[in-house]
Amino acid sequence: MTTTERPDLSWLDEVTMADLERNPYATYERLRAEAPLAYVPVLGSYVASTEEVCREIATSPDFEAVITPAGGRTFGHPAVIGVNGDVHADLRTMIEPALQPAEVDRWIDDLVRPIARRYLEQFESDGQAELVAQFCEPVSVRSLGDLLGLQDVESDKLREWFAKLNRSFTNAEMTADGEFANPEGFVEGDEAKAEIRSIVDPLIDKWIEHPDDSAISHWLHDGMPPGQTRDREYIYPTIYVYLLGAMQEPGHGMASTLVGLFSRPEQLEEVVDDPTLVPRAIAEGVRWTSPIWSATARISTKPVTVAGVDLPEGTPVMMSYGSANHDTGRYEAPTTYDLHRPPLPHLAFGAGNHACAGIYFANHTMRIALEELFEAIPNLERDTREGVEFWGWGFRGPTSLHVTWEV
Amino acid sequence: MTFAVTVGGRSVECGEDQALLDACLRAGVWMPNSCNQGTCGTCKLHVVAGEVDHGSSPVETLSDEERCAGMALACQARPRGDVELRPQGTSAARTANPLRDMVATVREVSDIARDTRRILLGLNEPLTFDAGQYVELVVPGSGERRQYSLANTADEDKVLELHVKLVPGGVATHGWLFDGLAEGDRVDISGPLGDFHLPPESEDDGGPMVLIGGGTGLAPLVGIVRTALRRHPEREVVLYHGVRGEEELYDGDRLTELTEQYPNVRFVPVLSHEPADGYREGFPTDAFVEDVPSARGWTGWLCGPPAMVEAGVKAFKRRRMAPRNIHREKFTPADA
Ligand SMILES: Cc1cc2nc3c(=O)[nH]c(=O)nc-3n(C[C@H](O)[C@H](O)[C@H](O)COP(=O)(O)OP(=O)(O)OC[C@H]3O[C@@H](n4cnc5c(N)ncnc54)[C@H](O)[C@@H]3O)c2cc1C
Ligand code: HEM
Ligand code: FES
Repeated sequence: MTTTERPDLSWLDEVTMADLERNPYATYERLRAEAPLAYVPVLGSYVASTEEVCREIATSPDFEAVITPAGGRTFGHPAVIGVNGDVHADLRTMIEPALQPAEVDRWIDDLVRPIARRYLEQFESDGQAELVAQFCEPVSVRSLGDLLGLQDVESDKLREWFAKLNRSFTNAEMTADGEFANPEGFVEGDEAKAEIRSIVDPLIDKWIEHPDDSAISHWLHDGMPPGQTRDREYIYPTIYVYLLGAMQEPGHGMASTLVGLFSRPEQLEEVVDDPTLVPRAIAEGVRWTSPIWSATARISTKPVTVAGVDLPEGTPVMMSYGSANHDTGRYEAPTTYDLHRPPLPHLAFGAGNHACAGIYFANHTMRIALEELFEAIPNLERDTREGVEFWGWGFRGPTSLHVTWEV
Repeated sequence: MTFAVTVGGRSVECGEDQALLDACLRAGVWMPNSCNQGTCGTCKLHVVAGEVDHGSSPVETLSDEERCAGMALACQARPRGDVELRPQGTSAARTANPLRDMVATVREVSDIARDTRRILLGLNEPLTFDAGQYVELVVPGSGERRQYSLANTADEDKVLELHVKLVPGGVATHGWLFDGLAEGDRVDISGPLGDFHLPPESEDDGGPMVLIGGGTGLAPLVGIVRTALRRHPEREVVLYHGVRGEEELYDGDRLTELTEQYPNVRFVPVLSHEPADGYREGFPTDAFVEDVPSARGWTGWLCGPPAMVEAGVKAFKRRRMAPRNIHREKFTPADA
């Protein structure tokens, strides 16, 4: 084969959305081997699947951010993940103050630890639990919900919202004519957004008149001339970014870390015995099963050649960070969870100027939650009567995690 | 040009134009990191000694105050010379009792149980230590060093009390401490060493404790339990002494006395191999599991052979003791 010859990728025509959601790894493994930058018909888009190509595109001056079609249909414009230039700079300036490490350090412990304890108290004497629904997701949404100013929205409601927004955002299948293959898949997202607005609009009304220390109140007021606030239509798309990814992913990250540790009982024991290993366990957990598996994209701003593929200006490319983190060019036996693998940086939080803004907050939320879990239940075991299933292509994590312990 | 970067007791080489994080990760020394582009702050740490060039660390992630306070972003900072780092969140090492080399004089050698001796060592100068720590003895003629735990409380600082078990063929025990050691002998020792001790009094809330000693693993527990009870006479304490047979038990009177002196102390000798009337049978760690339905909020103290300590950790966790409250001292052989 000469370098100009393209590999035969007709096998990609057979790949369905359901395949990818059940288990994307086989497809992407083949993509990494045969075509690290390839057009994937079911997604109607180019896909970057290796560590090198993802990193190159995410940090390239010849690309900027673009939201995926299903993402744009779900969030609307201007969502922070899909804008560039001044609007992106303004949105980052709006959200970053609350997420700065020095700021997060001030309150993260007082925020997350009591929440984790509260959920643990509800089941720690039961001897069994389903940790995704009873711990990981609730701690994740409650911590961020309280930070945002959504104290009065029940955790279960926040969980319902992220699940509906998730399915809508990842309703990515395209027809050959570039239309959404399943437009009805956006309905539940639309319903969730309607409900979100019915609850958040009155809060915004209140914050406009009476600013408080909640994040969304700051989003409305910070950096605005006296007497003015940011328009709510301008911030809603980014509120949806939060209510989906930021709400959901720390829960995914915790649950995946736990499943990974359960696959290595001796490593679980090490981490339980030495809580200073929790951050490392989480870093490997989100490498092993990246919560934001393939949800963001970039678009070329001029004709470019990447990984031997010529892309005209304006070509969108989906970033498959979950695949990049299984790149055998970088990790030995990437499908294995291994606390002690050589600790190379991973791409679970993306790269470039659109890299995750919540890394520090997310890592500490997950850390504190797992510290509390292991402290309360040091004799945690996976309930082997129940299997563990992962789901998701855009966002990925275990759907449930049954555990037992002696009480 | 490379410099030495020291973190958590490990030292790695770092090029003058290499990020500290990169050098550490390549050497297999993990430290928290996420973005590797200076924007998330996950890799922030303290520069304890030496100077770094902050490179392109953004002020949004690393403020001027933080720079002045000696913080750096490991993914951005380059060394300007040898540097020592401390990860965030780990507290500065607590001021430890200074380690000293001393010459002690043997005051007393007594056989207190089968293959077990009590050795008292007199010091010229009092030693500052915490109950539960150990000292190292230099075996005369061989240059070998062996560790022995102190059974003393911190105020018993002029005569050190050791409990030693005979190891057949052992350089220190068989060849010296059980053979020829006599009153008046001079012994080279260093100490105190180890972190097997109670927290400072101000941080000791008087919560319940369980202590399990295997054989002469009882030694440091004798110091710890007396210290703990003096601080909080009402506290709940369960002390297990596990040995093979009755003949290996010692200090029973001394420990029974504690149960009379303090209201909430239990002392439970357990025999693993040679059952005898009036004694619990089996392993002390199993006895604990039988006796204590929940150890939530307790602290645990394990000392003795490594296998016993491991079994104890499992037993304590099974009874829901938080691992950070489980203190361990393993009598690991020198050649292990
Ligand atoms: C922190 C610490 C504190 C200690 N405190 C005490 C104490 O208070 N009292 C006490 O009696 N000991 C204590 N020890 C153990 C002690 O330091 C020596 O290891 C022990 O006395 C044997 O030394 P030795 O020179 O006689 O035997 P060595 O010459 O070191 O060993 C001879 C052979 O016997 C094996 N061996 C050594 N120990 C054992 C054993 N226990 N069981 C089976 N095989 C063994 C060795 O592997 C070797 O093959 C402590 C050890 C540590 C690390
Ligand atoms: C374990 C949990 C999380 C993971 C794995 C994660 C991962 C990611 C990833 C991969 C991206 C896309 C980066 C890119 O395209 O290069 C992203 C974007 C983003 N994340 Fe996170 N995230 C997590 C939690 C959070 C939290 C808790 C918050 C907020 C509190 C947050 C805020 C954001 C924002 C605002 C963006 C968009 C950044 C931009 O486009 O400029 N994330 N995240
Ligand atoms: S790893 Fe993010 S600032 Fe260094």
